[in-house]
Amino acid sequence: MSTHRRVWYPYASPFDPCPPIKAKTYSTPPNLFLGFQPPNLEQFTPMQALRTGTLWKVFYDPWYSPYEAPREDDHS
Amino acid sequence: MKQLPKEFYAAMEELQAVDFVLVDLTLYLDTHPEDYEAINQFNQFAKERRRLKKVVESMYGPLQQFGNSYSGYPWNWDDGPWPWQI
Repeated sequence: MSTHRRVWYPYASPFDPCPPIKAKTYSTPPNLFLGFQPPNLEQFTPMQALRTGTLWKVFYDPWYSPYEAPREDDHS
Repeated sequence: MKQLPKEFYAAMEELQAVDFVLVDLTLYLDTHPEDYEAINQFNQFAKERRRLKKVVESMYGPLQQFGNSYSGYPWNWDDGPWPWQI
């Protein structure tokens, strides 16, 4: 479930009307790091799969925003 | 409009869960044709879905058309409540 969060630094021009946002982060989904899916991965129960949106635990990514505290879900 | 019994909702949710598993397995099996366990699981869930469909349709009425569901008498596939109304 660990969504690897990456950061990038946008350019802040001196003429920006608003205070610049120095660092912006984005979360990278697990399927980027898996490549071809291996067989017999651990699965959720059907009910949980319906809630989480995927059948396999490794692909579960709730995609929290950086400002949202990653609340501990029961099925993560 | 006929009111649906309470146990309909639990059965419908279970049917939706089984449907979701079948969809995910279908997509998985498209790229993994030799995965024996996954095919077994798929067939189990397909069999399970057929049983669940009978349960749900006994309370709700036909779910699908064009021969995918039996019809009641009189012709009732277009009776309420519709899927977005349940």
